[in-house]
Amino acid sequence: MKRLLSWVLAAVVLSGIAFFMGGYANDVYRKLLLWVALALSYNFLFGISGQVAFSHFSFYGIGAYAVVIFVFQLGLPLPLAVLAAAGLCAVLAAAVAIPSTRLEGFYLALATLAFAQLFVVVLNEGGKVTGGPGGLADYRLPEILGFRLAGPWYTALIVLLVLGTAALLWRLDRSWFGRACRAVRDSPEAAAAMGVDVARTKVIAFTLASTLAGFAGMAYAFVDNTVSPTIFGLENAFLLLFMVIIGGSGSHAGAVIGAVLLYLLPFGLSPLIGHHHALVFGVVMVAAILLQPKGLVGLAGLVRRARA
Amino acid sequence: MRDFLELAVSATASGCVYALIALAYLLMIRPTGIINFAVGEWAMVGAFAGYLTLSKLNWPYPAGMAAMLGFMLLLGWATERVAVRPLVHTGAPPLAPILALLGMLVVVRESVSIGFGPDPHQVPEPFGFAWQKEYMVGVTLAVFAGAWLFFERTLAGRSFEAVALDRKAAALMGINLPRVTAASFAGGAAVAGLAGILVSPNVSAHYLMGVPLAIQGFTALVIGGVGRVEGALLGGLLLAFAEQLTVRYAPIPAGYAQGVPLLLLMLFLVVRPTGLLRARA
Repeated sequence: MKRLLSWVLAAVVLSGIAFFMGGYANDVYRKLLLWVALALSYNFLFGISGQVAFSHFSFYGIGAYAVVIFVFQLGLPLPLAVLAAAGLCAVLAAAVAIPSTRLEGFYLALATLAFAQLFVVVLNEGGKVTGGPGGLADYRLPEILGFRLAGPWYTALIVLLVLGTAALLWRLDRSWFGRACRAVRDSPEAAAAMGVDVARTKVIAFTLASTLAGFAGMAYAFVDNTVSPTIFGLENAFLLLFMVIIGGSGSHAGAVIGAVLLYLLPFGLSPLIGHHHALVFGVVMVAAILLQPKGLVGLAGLVRRARA
Repeated sequence: MRDFLELAVSATASGCVYALIALAYLLMIRPTGIINFAVGEWAMVGAFAGYLTLSKLNWPYPAGMAAMLGFMLLLGWATERVAVRPLVHTGAPPLAPILALLGMLVVVRESVSIGFGPDPHQVPEPFGFAWQKEYMVGVTLAVFAGAWLFFERTLAGRSFEAVALDRKAAALMGINLPRVTAASFAGGAAVAGLAGILVSPNVSAHYLMGVPLAIQGFTALVIGGVGRVEGALLGGLLLAFAEQLTVRYAPIPAGYAQGVPLLLLMLFLVVRPTGLLRARA
C-alpha cells in the first residue's frame, strides 16, 4: 500500500512539474523522460541480462515508425495501432533474439549492430511507406473520444510510461525471472546447472526490453511529430550504452542517473566545447570501466561506506 | 565481359581492404579473444596520417608510409596499455576490455574530427590512379604472405598460436603473455592503418569512415573464419564480390545493396559462426 502510494506520488509530482514549464522546457523534459525509459529497459537488457545489443535504439525507431504508418497510412484507430506496433516490435525482437542467443558476448553485439544498420538502410529506401531519407512528418496525435492530449497532458502520459516501465522492470528484477537473468549473465553454465533455461531466458529478456523500447518510440513519434532515419542511427545506440555504463550497469538508479546526466550535460557543455561532448562521454566511459565498473552508483556506494 | 573484368578488378581491390581489416581483427582475437571494434577507427587514423604526411607535408610516399606505420604501432601499443592491460590484470569480465575499446573508438573519432574538421581530405596514390588497384592488391598479398610465414614458420608466431590455444598453458611454458598481447595490438593497429592509407585515395580521409570499414572487415572475418590467416583474405574477397555483383546485376535499388554485407554478417553469425575455413587441428 505504501509502495503504491509512493508510485502515485511520483506520478503526480513528475507530471505536475510539466504544468509549470514553458513549451521549450516541456520539449526537453519529454525527451529526457524518454531517454530515462530507454535507459531503464536497456539496463535490463545489458546490465541485468548481460546482452550487449546495439538494436535497442532501432526498436525505439521501429515503434515510432510503426505507429505512424499504422495510423496514417493504414488508417487504424490509435489504440489498435499501438497494439499492432507493440506486436510488431515483439515479433521482430523475438525473430532477432531466437537465432542470436546462440552468439556469445560481443558476437551478439555485432549481429545486432548489423540489424541496426539494416534498419537505417530500410528506412532510407522505404519509398512512400517510410518517407525515405526525409522521414515522415506533418501528422499529429489523433483524437480519442473527442480529446487530443497536448502540452503538459502529453508530458504526463510520458511520465506514466516511464513509471510503468520502471515499475515493471523493478518488479521483474526482484522476481524469479530477474534472478535467472542475472545468473545467466554471470555464468550461463552455472545457471543451466541450476535448472535455468538459458536460451529461453535470454530470448524473453531481449523481446521484453525491445518491446518496451518500442513503446517509448511510439510516445516519441508524437513529441516532434516527425520521424526520420538520422534520429535512429548508431550514434544514439552508443549513447544509450554510455548512459548505462556511466550510471552503473545493472542498477535501475544508475540507468536513471546516467540518462539524466548524459542527456543534460551537452546543454551545459556546449558553450564550452561546442558539439564535441561525445569526446567527453568517451573519456568518462573508459575511465568508468577502468576505475569504477559499477559506475556513478558504485562511486556513491564507496563514498557512503567511507563515511560510515 | 569487359564490364565484368572491370568489376572483378575493382572488387578485388576493395576486397583487399576488407581482408586487411579482417586480418587486424584476427591478430588481436587469436591471442586475446578480444574483438576490437576500434580497428575501423584505426584505419581512419591511418588514412589521416597519409593525408598529413603526403598531402599536407608533401613527404615522399615511402616516408609517409613508414611514419604512418610507426605511429600506428605506437597507437596500438598505447591502446593496449591504457584500455586492455589494466582490465586483464584485475580479472575484469572478458567483455570489459571490449567495451573500453568502444569508448576509445569514440575518443579517437572525436579527436580526429576536432583536429581535422568534418570535411573529407584527399590522399594521393603512390603510382598514380592507373596503378592504384594493382598496388593495393600487391601490398595486401605481401602482408598476408608475411603474416602466414610469421604464424607458420617462426617461433614468435608459434608462441602467438600457443596463446590462442590456451593462455594458461602458454604462460606456464614461459611465453610472455603481456608481450604477446601488446605485440598483437601494435600489429593489428599497423595492419588497420595500412588498410586505411590504401583505401583513402578512393574514398578520401573522413572522420566517419571508420565504422563502415569496421563492419565490413568484421563481416569478412566471419565469412572466412577466425581460425586461419587465409580465411581473412578469402572472406574479404568474397564479401567485395558479393557487394559489387549485387550493385551491378541484382534487380534491387542501389540503396538496398548497402544491406548486402549486413545480411551476410547476420547470416554467417547465425548459420556458420566458425566461418568457411576451419582452424587447423
